[in-house]
Amino acid sequence: MTYLQARGVVRSYGPTPALRGVNLDVAEGEIVAVTGPSGCGKSTLLHCLAGILRPDAGEVLWRGERIDTWSEAARSRLRRSTFGVLFQFGQLVAELTAAENVALPLLLAGTGRREARTAALGWLDRLGVADLADTRPGEMSGGQQQRCATARALVTEPRVLFADEPTGALDTLTGEQVLTRLVRLVREQGTSIVLVTHEPRIAAYADREVVLRDGVVDHDGLGLDVPLAGGHR
Amino acid sequence: MRPSTLLRLAVAGTATDTVRVVLTALSAALAALAGLAALTVLAIPTPPPVDEGDVRWSDQYASQLLVEPGLRGGTAFALLLLTVPVLALAGQCARLGAPARDRRLAALRLAGATPGQVTRLAVGETGLAALLGTAGGTAIYFGVREAFDTPDGQGRLALPTDVLPAPGAFAAVLLGLPVVAGLATALMLRRVTVGPLGVVRKQRRERGPRPWAGVLIGLGLVAFAAIGPIDRWYATRDTQPPEWLTPALLTGGGLAALVGVVVGTGWISYVTGRLLRRWARRPATLLAAARLTADPWAGSRTFAALLAAVLLGAGAAGLRAYFEAAGDLERRGGGGLAGTDDFYLSTMDLVDLAVAVAMVVAAGGLVVALVEGVTARRRAYAALVATGVPAATIGRSIAWQALAPAVPAVALALTVGLLLARGLFGTPTSGGGTVEFCDAAEQLCNDPATRAQYTRVEVEPLVSRTPDVPLEHVAWLGAGALAAVLVTVAVGLLFLRPGTAVEELRAT
Amino acid sequence: MSTPHVLLGLLAAGARHGYELKRAHDERLPRARPLAFGQVYATLGRLQRDGLVVAAGQEREGGPDRTAYVLTDAGRAALDRWLAEVEAPMPYVSSTLFAKVAVALLVDDVAGARSYLAAQRQAHTVRLRELTAAKTAPSASLDDVVAADYAIAHLDADLRWLHTTLDRVADWHREVHS
Repeated sequence: MTYLQARGVVRSYGPTPALRGVNLDVAEGEIVAVTGPSGCGKSTLLHCLAGILRPDAGEVLWRGERIDTWSEAARSRLRRSTFGVLFQFGQLVAELTAAENVALPLLLAGTGRREARTAALGWLDRLGVADLADTRPGEMSGGQQQRCATARALVTEPRVLFADEPTGALDTLTGEQVLTRLVRLVREQGTSIVLVTHEPRIAAYADREVVLRDGVVDHDGLGLDVPLAGGHR
Repeated sequence: MRPSTLLRLAVAGTATDTVRVVLTALSAALAALAGLAALTVLAIPTPPPVDEGDVRWSDQYASQLLVEPGLRGGTAFALLLLTVPVLALAGQCARLGAPARDRRLAALRLAGATPGQVTRLAVGETGLAALLGTAGGTAIYFGVREAFDTPDGQGRLALPTDVLPAPGAFAAVLLGLPVVAGLATALMLRRVTVGPLGVVRKQRRERGPRPWAGVLIGLGLVAFAAIGPIDRWYATRDTQPPEWLTPALLTGGGLAALVGVVVGTGWISYVTGRLLRRWARRPATLLAAARLTADPWAGSRTFAALLAAVLLGAGAAGLRAYFEAAGDLERRGGGGLAGTDDFYLSTMDLVDLAVAVAMVVAAGGLVVALVEGVTARRRAYAALVATGVPAATIGRSIAWQALAPAVPAVALALTVGLLLARGLFGTPTSGGGTVEFCDAAEQLCNDPATRAQYTRVEVEPLVSRTPDVPLEHVAWLGAGALAAVLVTVAVGLLFLRPGTAVEELRAT
Repeated sequence: MSTPHVLLGLLAAGARHGYELKRAHDERLPRARPLAFGQVYATLGRLQRDGLVVAAGQEREGGPDRTAYVLTDAGRAALDRWLAEVEAPMPYVSSTLFAKVAVALLVDDVAGARSYLAAQRQAHTVRLRELTAAKTAPSASLDDVVAADYAIAHLDADLRWLHTTLDRVADWHREVHS
């Protein structure tokens, strides 16, 4: 059964077309990098795949079911159970502590506070920031914030994680640490990742690369779907 | 989402959010007080009439406002009207810290909150604050009742501390206010879509505001002016107009005129902006013109409460002029007012006091609004200052932006208030009745058979005294309103200095 | 620096004299070290011996500088083979990469140049993935990581340049043909 699929997705912002018919397949447990020059529609594709935006045309299928026709509320519920989201910034609520932030998807789904907090503390520990559980995001460094954000993305044990330039605001070494930990944790769970980046170094963490150019997939002799030499899975 | 989660998320906030909650609670307390006071006055029992056509007064109170049934209705109405500036203040407070709250709600949506959950959070915050405020206001009400329950020398009470509003009315206020606050929040949120990527406000139309205001003001004036003629029309048929007609015309017309003045301010701001842009030379005025045309409604929201107070004040001034004219008429001879005009005028003093209180409340709302506007745009102002624009220029532009539409708006509110009063109360007249005179000796007059020959009917001359236009009073009102605006500008400018420090330009 | 192949590429446009070849080389590859005349003649000699070029005719009795050289069929085949070959992406690929790209643009049509660039980019990408996996493996020592970082940095630089060149070629092609 197909896992996550985009079929002919079209999406514009007013008169400007961002995506002009994109097809993409993500298999279970696979890490796919979506790259391309700025303005090529990578982030928009990610948003459409994750159910944050509705495409103007085309389909987004999750396990064979069309999710682009779901209501705003239903797609929001996806984000706190099956899909995880990790952005460059702006996702942690500044007025809540780290533990509350990480527990947020669980709390919104109706889990009790004690249970949610236990799960949150567990994930913060796995990302090496357990001692920051009761601090606010404003008091942390960028790297620590991204680790908390990663914990929040993983706390619901999602099937697919959508990461948009997760290391964009971090220096090389910190970004590498965050990404390495993320990939290791995710491999353990068999979660897929859709990773949007414009940096070849970050794309190198993926199993496969899809290049977007001007809102369409660039198959043009750039060699897609080349599996990793020596196999890693 | 469990209730405990809802609670935790609703109270999560920065200092600005706490200020917003406190101000909302305060406004709810004031509104509750005003509402309960009005209901108490309405609950004062009127002793049953002894003779036909006699209206009994409730003599256990010291103030005529509470004694006379007719005036009592007016007092209750005025108290209810006091809630308007208070609610406008509450509405203004709801916008405090809106950008940060919008960001927080968007982050919650990204984490998986549904649109319904987010609405419930915002409504919950306001509803809770309103509930606390209403409870506080009720506590104050009971406290005042206890404290003022002392009869004076003649055994009369200063305040109606011996009656309580009906339990149903009580419940209506206690439950109604938070519910209304929650509904208002939900309504305001409909214009805003909180998406996971940020908040999108529904696009305003590109054209400026239309002059619907003129239509509304006209309707209000017509409604008020129609009360008199309608009464007379019914009188010619010897029937009373239906119970609901006069109050309906009063409230409907009053609201229409009020809304018209407020909406008219949006149009005035826009037109002022256009004119300023045409004729402006200095950067300060150009900046002000641009902001006015870009967002004319910011001005009208801010002024709503102040204009409501000014309108009431002008109406009260018109009423006072009417009483003075009627008193003058009575002194000239016959007709006019029942009772001395002293207490009518002292009643007007109380009304003026109420208007002054309303204006202070409204000025509070203005301060809140201006400060919020300055702090929300501090990043843009800091960038301007960093590129070399003197802070003084920015200060002048803020002053222009506040005052330029204020002058015509206040003038409009004053005029409409005066016209409303004139339309409602008209010109006091006396005379016009017919009197029989008998020109013969007593015997002949008393005999019905012969009386008809000698009687003549004289029509009393109709004397009327047009009330003066209370220019001095109105001028004081207008000056007071503009002074309030100046004070708020000064306070806002205080916040400008720290707001344009270079640190504001930092991205993190 | 593959001087023989560069000369083959310069001859693909037509017959050239020895001194013309040197000038053309310095013009086409401005940042490379200028070619010494001696090197030119030595290389030409070797190419002639291998049958890849042939003397076209002589003006008069004189040295190689007066001789016009021409590409043979074998020479053309050797050039094409070299152009289609992908350079193994070890750290110091840069200067050869540049030479190959410059010659490809000179010799081939745009489609050919693009497909070479695309293939080279793919090789770089695969190598980058290998190095990243090696670096993030739990068993990697500090030396392994440092060495991998070095290789990754250079390959990253190569990749960026390849990307930009791909874009420039596409733009240039669009401009010329629109």
